[in-house]
Amino acid sequence: MIEARELYKSFSGVHAVQGVSFIARDGEITGIIGPNGAGKTTILRMIYTVLAPDSGKTLVDGIDAELDRRAVQRRLGVMPDVRGLYPRLTAREHVRYFGELHGLEAHEIERRTAELVNTLAMADFIDRRAKGFSRGQQMKVALARALVHNPHNVILDEPTNGLDVGTSRSVRELLRRFRREGRCVLLSSHIMQEVAALADRIVILSDGRVALQGTPDELRESTGVDELEDVFMAATMALPADRAAPAALGAVAD
Amino acid sequence: MSTIAIVFRKEMTDNLRDRRSILVAMIYPLMGPLLLGLLFSFVGSMLKTEHGPGRPVEVAVVHAENAPEFTRFLEAHGVVIRPAPDDPKAAVQRDELPFALVLPERPAAASATPLEVTVVTDPARLDSIVASGQILDILRDYERETTAARLRAKGLDPGVMTSLRVMHENVGRAANLGFMFLNMIPPFLMFTLFIGGVYLTLDATSGERERGSFEPLMINPVTRSQVLIGKLAAAVVFTLLALAVQVVAFWIMLHSIPREALGIGTLPSVMHLSLLVPVCVPLAVFAVATQLIITAVTRSIKEAQTYLGLLPLVPGIAGMILVFVPVKVHSLLASIPTFGQTLLMGQMMRSEAVSWSLIGVSVLATLAFTLALLALGFRLYEREGILFPS
Repeated sequence: MIEARELYKSFSGVHAVQGVSFIARDGEITGIIGPNGAGKTTILRMIYTVLAPDSGKTLVDGIDAELDRRAVQRRLGVMPDVRGLYPRLTAREHVRYFGELHGLEAHEIERRTAELVNTLAMADFIDRRAKGFSRGQQMKVALARALVHNPHNVILDEPTNGLDVGTSRSVRELLRRFRREGRCVLLSSHIMQEVAALADRIVILSDGRVALQGTPDELRESTGVDELEDVFMAATMALPADRAAPAALGAVAD
Repeated sequence: MSTIAIVFRKEMTDNLRDRRSILVAMIYPLMGPLLLGLLFSFVGSMLKTEHGPGRPVEVAVVHAENAPEFTRFLEAHGVVIRPAPDDPKAAVQRDELPFALVLPERPAAASATPLEVTVVTDPARLDSIVASGQILDILRDYERETTAARLRAKGLDPGVMTSLRVMHENVGRAANLGFMFLNMIPPFLMFTLFIGGVYLTLDATSGERERGSFEPLMINPVTRSQVLIGKLAAAVVFTLLALAVQVVAFWIMLHSIPREALGIGTLPSVMHLSLLVPVCVPLAVFAVATQLIITAVTRSIKEAQTYLGLLPLVPGIAGMILVFVPVKVHSLLASIPTFGQTLLMGQMMRSEAVSWSLIGVSVLATLAFTLALLALGFRLYEREGILFPS
């Protein structure tokens, strides 16, 4: 379980995140959605401990990141937005490096790598160097090394960004499998369709604040709009959703 | 396996596959020995074949026919007389001759008058200095012998004419030409210490940030200083590798040049060279620590590269000055990182006794500076923004 409580973060005077709170539960997929610059990546970075919030706190499985950062890091598997691979290392060496840094034994790393190669269909490039990998292959390597220690909580920043339809679909299937396994999955996206297709719970961000959050049904109910994309548009147009949505629809009806 | 060891092993694997890292560590260090070797061979062969000691000196003599006794003396002392051009001064100026002797236009009227000899030289030319030096010795011999003969003819003891005999013994080792050549080596070693691991440092810090791989790396349960120590250790290994390559190359070079002609006597023994280890290892860590600081305060690989390229010039220039202005080593100088090592390396190259206490001062002072730099570097790397590509 991942929890954000009243998070605030500014960068040289710019208020990137202003009082964001939400909970991502075990056995659920939680999607953070918002336009570019809404603060998605900043929030995720605070949760996965590379940024410290100005105020507020983040908890993973009830552990406060500020108090025990190592314990939080061990429970998280994170795939950041920028994949950041080493061009001269093979896919297998990437996975091994992170496995070792998590303190796994060599045989354990081997076993996990074999599983991940199978799950993510990496067999034909696992022993190739990362230089020249396609975006899909890069994403798989970044995901595999993030999952090598079999984390209970999985955070993915823009997981399907730049991927083809087939690869996107396999990512979605993997995330659904994580949900069945009872893991906590938190992902960000700026594409409503993607989040709508996957998420059990949606957090809509706008200008560093939570504009709306809830299950897809709750969102539809509270705004009175059927299409989640319209909900998103209404929520992020800086107007209270309950007033903005009918206005937008009215304009379409005219 | 500890985090430091894991990171170290990864950086070694990664950079041993990188052609640029290998080039900087293995090929660049060969440039110094190669260039100095060419220079030494050139100078040495010039000194040896043309005018080296024991070789006949070729001299262009103007009006040689006017002093037959003198020319015979020259020839008897191994001088080969060559006909001189019409204008010997212009010929020396134009580099056609290293130097020339000009005798009087008319034969001496009486046997007891002094013979006027003009030596035309160009001190800007090494071969001119060497050859005219040899001929001046012969001229002095001629004067002494002729005077003695004349005095004896008059029934006097030649010793009467000698009230002073100046003996010149040069004990200043560093003033020796050969030592000047050997003094050129430490600046190259210094340069290698600052450049050998630079590509690895750059790739493992600025490169890691620019690729965006620093962020995922730091999400693992590790501390930044553990990761940095692992990276720096790999950079130190590459630096020392480069230094070892260069020392071996210099060793081979020094054994294949005409040392006698250059005035280079004994070469430093392997035992003596092993002192390079305590002198250089702390400095290698110091160099890598300065590189770390530079990568921390710059935003991109390119920006860092600019400063890292200039960095080796600082200790290098200090070393070049020492080639020409030798300094006595004392503990205050030895305690300055890079400068102290240049001085100590110079002593080793010249096979002088190196004092352990000065090595101790140099090691301790350099380690203290290094720790301060590392502490600063690690602090700079704790900044939040440093993880993300700008």
